[in-house]
Amino acid sequence: MRTTAAKFEIPYTQYLDPNGKPNGPLPAFAKDPKVLVGMYKWMAQVRVFDTKAIALQRTGQLGTYASCLGHEATHVGIGAAMLREDAFFPMYREYGVQFQRGVHMHEVLLFWGGDERGNCFKDAPAHDFAWCVPIATQFHHAAGAATAFKYRKEKRVAVTVIGDGGTSQGDFYEAMNCAGAWKLPAVFITCNNKWAISVPLSAQTSCETLAQKGIAAGIHSEQVDGNDIVAMRDVMDKALARARNGEGATFIEALTYRLSDHTTADDARRYRDAAEVEDAKTKEPMIRTRKYLESIGAWDAKQEEAWLAECAAKVDAEVLVYKAAGKPPVASMFDHMFANLPERLARQRDECVANEEHH
Amino acid sequence: MAKVALVEALTMAMAYEMKHDPSVVVMGEDVGKNGGVFRATLGLQDTFGPERVIDTPLAEALIAGVAIGMAAMGLKPVAEIQFSGFIYPCVDEIINHAGRLRSRTRGRLSVPMVLRAPSGGGIHAPEHHSESNEAMFAHMPGIRVVMPSSPQRAYGLLLAAIRDPDPVVFLEPTRLYRLNKQEVADDGEALPLDTCFVLREGTDVTLVTWGAMVVESLAAAAELEKEGVSVEVIDLATVSPIDEQTVLESVEKTGRCVIVQEAPISGGVGSEVAALVAEKALYSLESPIVRVAGWDTPMPLFKLEHDYMPSTARVAAGIRKAMEG
Amino acid sequence: MKTFNLPDLGEGLQEAEIVSWHVKEGDVVKVDQPLLSVETAKAVVDVPSPYAGRIAKLHWKDGDIVPTHSALVDFDVGDGSAAAPAKKAEAPKPAAPAPKMEPISEDSGTVVGKMATSSALVEETAIIRKRVVKGTGKPKAAPAVRAYAKGIGVDLTRLSGTGKNDLITRADVDKAASSPGAIAGSKDRRGEARPATAKPSAPIAPIAFGEMVPMKGPRRAMHASMTRARSEVMECTIFDDADIHYWAPGNDITGRIVRSIVAGVKAEPGFNAWYDGEKLARQIHERIDLAMAVDTPDGLIVPVLRDVGRKDGAQLRADLNVIKEKTHSRSVSPDDMRNPTITLSNFGMMAGRYATPVVVPPTVAIIGTGGIRHDVVPVLGGVEVHKRIPLSLTFDHRCLTGGEACRFLAAMIKDLQKAT
Repeated sequence: MRTTAAKFEIPYTQYLDPNGKPNGPLPAFAKDPKVLVGMYKWMAQVRVFDTKAIALQRTGQLGTYASCLGHEATHVGIGAAMLREDAFFPMYREYGVQFQRGVHMHEVLLFWGGDERGNCFKDAPAHDFAWCVPIATQFHHAAGAATAFKYRKEKRVAVTVIGDGGTSQGDFYEAMNCAGAWKLPAVFITCNNKWAISVPLSAQTSCETLAQKGIAAGIHSEQVDGNDIVAMRDVMDKALARARNGEGATFIEALTYRLSDHTTADDARRYRDAAEVEDAKTKEPMIRTRKYLESIGAWDAKQEEAWLAECAAKVDAEVLVYKAAGKPPVASMFDHMFANLPERLARQRDECVANEEHH
Repeated sequence: MAKVALVEALTMAMAYEMKHDPSVVVMGEDVGKNGGVFRATLGLQDTFGPERVIDTPLAEALIAGVAIGMAAMGLKPVAEIQFSGFIYPCVDEIINHAGRLRSRTRGRLSVPMVLRAPSGGGIHAPEHHSESNEAMFAHMPGIRVVMPSSPQRAYGLLLAAIRDPDPVVFLEPTRLYRLNKQEVADDGEALPLDTCFVLREGTDVTLVTWGAMVVESLAAAAELEKEGVSVEVIDLATVSPIDEQTVLESVEKTGRCVIVQEAPISGGVGSEVAALVAEKALYSLESPIVRVAGWDTPMPLFKLEHDYMPSTARVAAGIRKAMEG
Repeated sequence: MKTFNLPDLGEGLQEAEIVSWHVKEGDVVKVDQPLLSVETAKAVVDVPSPYAGRIAKLHWKDGDIVPTHSALVDFDVGDGSAAAPAKKAEAPKPAAPAPKMEPISEDSGTVVGKMATSSALVEETAIIRKRVVKGTGKPKAAPAVRAYAKGIGVDLTRLSGTGKNDLITRADVDKAASSPGAIAGSKDRRGEARPATAKPSAPIAPIAFGEMVPMKGPRRAMHASMTRARSEVMECTIFDDADIHYWAPGNDITGRIVRSIVAGVKAEPGFNAWYDGEKLARQIHERIDLAMAVDTPDGLIVPVLRDVGRKDGAQLRADLNVIKEKTHSRSVSPDDMRNPTITLSNFGMMAGRYATPVVVPPTVAIIGTGGIRHDVVPVLGGVEVHKRIPLSLTFDHRCLTGGEACRFLAAMIKDLQKAT
């Protein structure tokens, strides 16, 4: 006789439709327009920064840069919900999270500008990790941090983000499985923007949702409209609370779209349908948020203009700081290799410095 | 004959072999529709179809492991790892399986696969994209490690690698991908593996190198020629196993040896070359072996990458040091 | 005035085609305002303005193909400076022999980074040369010995090594150091190696030392064969004399000597052989090819008289004459000197009675004949003066015994002392 051993369900959350109309009652925090306006302003700041960064790259002033165009609600929602004592393990696009946590725009520029000082994080929490290029390894790190938090009985949560492509990596599953087995205070998020460079989601997996991969890890799994700032914030609040209360990890699939190229040197027109991109633009997060705020009288064109000008000024100031950084001293290649530099390396450092003075 | 860049020569070689051998299959991330992030597989999917040019899910251990399974079952996979820093998840499969399947089954199973990856720095890339990790694979038995340094050698050596019945890790110097062009005949002629190429004949000092450092080495040799020093430049090409004869014969002729590598100095392939020369040509040496190499630090982010990579000036200084004795 | 050059687009190749300008001369633009669209091989890209100001000059028009880094737009930014001299960058030069390290232009075909791209043709040769070549002639010495030699000013190229495979040992260096002239070119050490000559001297003008002249031709070959001999052969020499007092007139001395060697070989065939010291084996030859050491102005040459055991006196004389002629005309070929089985050194023309001539491997014996002398010899209680030929036989004691050498010599002497 065959019975059913298990079934699963993936909840999906959305509060604002693409036109900014609520589809039901909003969560409590959303009743205060100041909170939403605050998040919208961050989204706008990120977008202005992002546009400038692309322009810098196009004018030869920045190395390859990974744009976050279209992901503003996902990222800002995550960052708005996190506490400073939580730890963030980024991929490499989540400026919306990081700016709220104190990462400076010039630090992002320094990183893409080929300078490790961008990873120093003068004001962001010292326990936040730096950008992570080897895909999915950040998931392990988050699980590890969560383990430390649990071990010391701290009410802190490890939060990490991965792309849809990254969910094919072994590390992705290993980390979540471990988080399930150890009931870790972690929130794993996949920012499903439908494309892994040129590989569409359909070629990446045959799963109906990416969220259900969390079911396989035995943790709470759900989907959210990643372009809806209200939904993102709500889902994150609940996931963080769950973790802080000892109820274990959550896996969130945030549905959005990569409006930009993978990086500034990629050209998505090679492999993507223009119609698809145009359609996605109509669902992007800024539009609906602005429309909703305008509909409740919390925002208008004048404020928009003023705020964008302020954002631009801030970005320009940060660009100046970035440009003034110059070249780091060559000895810095060695300075942070170990707490105590081994003799062999100290000699290499001397040779390296001597070489530089020579030429 | 076509004048092609190194990366285009790779495409030519894959296309030739795929045309003549139906068991050859290309796989990797973004290799199909996009033609590869460096365009190494450009046009292959259009010609041979998605079953033979496969866009894999994003998982490097998968790429290496699946290639092993395919190869053991009679296909000839040419698997691409997108960036040098992403090859590390493959190490488990390559070292634990690709390198020893033939040996542990006494020849019953074997792995005729090629794992291609870019290698080395100098393209202003984000971090983890500029690794020189050939020594890691060179140290492991059962694996060949090959590094082409010109379009012609890229074509000929990749053909040889694909045809070889055993696994080859084929590391391509990223900054040479499009640095220059060369006439390459698309005639399906392979170049020999396990063989050095003498790029410049000389009588005063033997310079052994491989990969992108061939550029700085030849430039330094030209500079030293003006000072009356005749430098013989040898490209290892197959970094493991090393063609000992060519290297030793050259050192016996010149009496001096300079080894140039981009990878960190400790435990690199250059260490193996130095040991070989000290073992078998010690009495011919008129001065100590000189190694010019990267520092024992990770490749820094690109503002400092040219302070890390041995420059022509550093190579030239190394040659002069060998001449002084 | 500021000039904006077509930048590295991050995916451009060496050039881009202008699809359309979005501004015209005279327009006032803001930073980041789109200036123009360009098409690279891969895509159409918008280029934003790096400056705020008035467009003073557009250097190109729609449809033009612009090389990367060439001047694109002049801006009047209100700082009063003059425009940069309008230089249209030349198209990148093709076929640079050594491609430069600095990126010449940006590349596409990458989602990260900037890759140098050029159409410069790489000029190179690549030779496969898998063979082992031995004996390149350069001195071989352990590093410690080299350093030692350098420290005391001994030039290794003037030494031969006595170690295995001609390796120069420390003892070789010491030996060379104690012989005059071994120290070449070292300024400080010259005096130390010379034997002290206690000559109180008025200051004399320094005489230059001789110039270093490399050995060539026969001297070079002699060096090689003597070096080999010394490192391989265990030489032992026996001396004796042949009394030719009772020779009939008309005897050709060289012919008689050759005949006596044949007699010696007949008595002891082991002297006409090749010895392999590594395999510990020897080939005894039936045929006697006798090498004759000849002194020439160019040095020692050793042409070979072939098959002397089967030739009569007349034939031998004829062959000898051929050799003499070839020697005078300097036309002795390498074939003429190849593979002797035993050697004769008739050295006594000017001076020299006995010698320890050198056995050249793989032969095992060499006979040296000194100058014919009138010696006082005891005869039956009295003294007489007899003509005698001094004989020296050096043999390789690794494969021949003293007894065999004596018997060889005895046979030689017996034959030599016959009247005819």
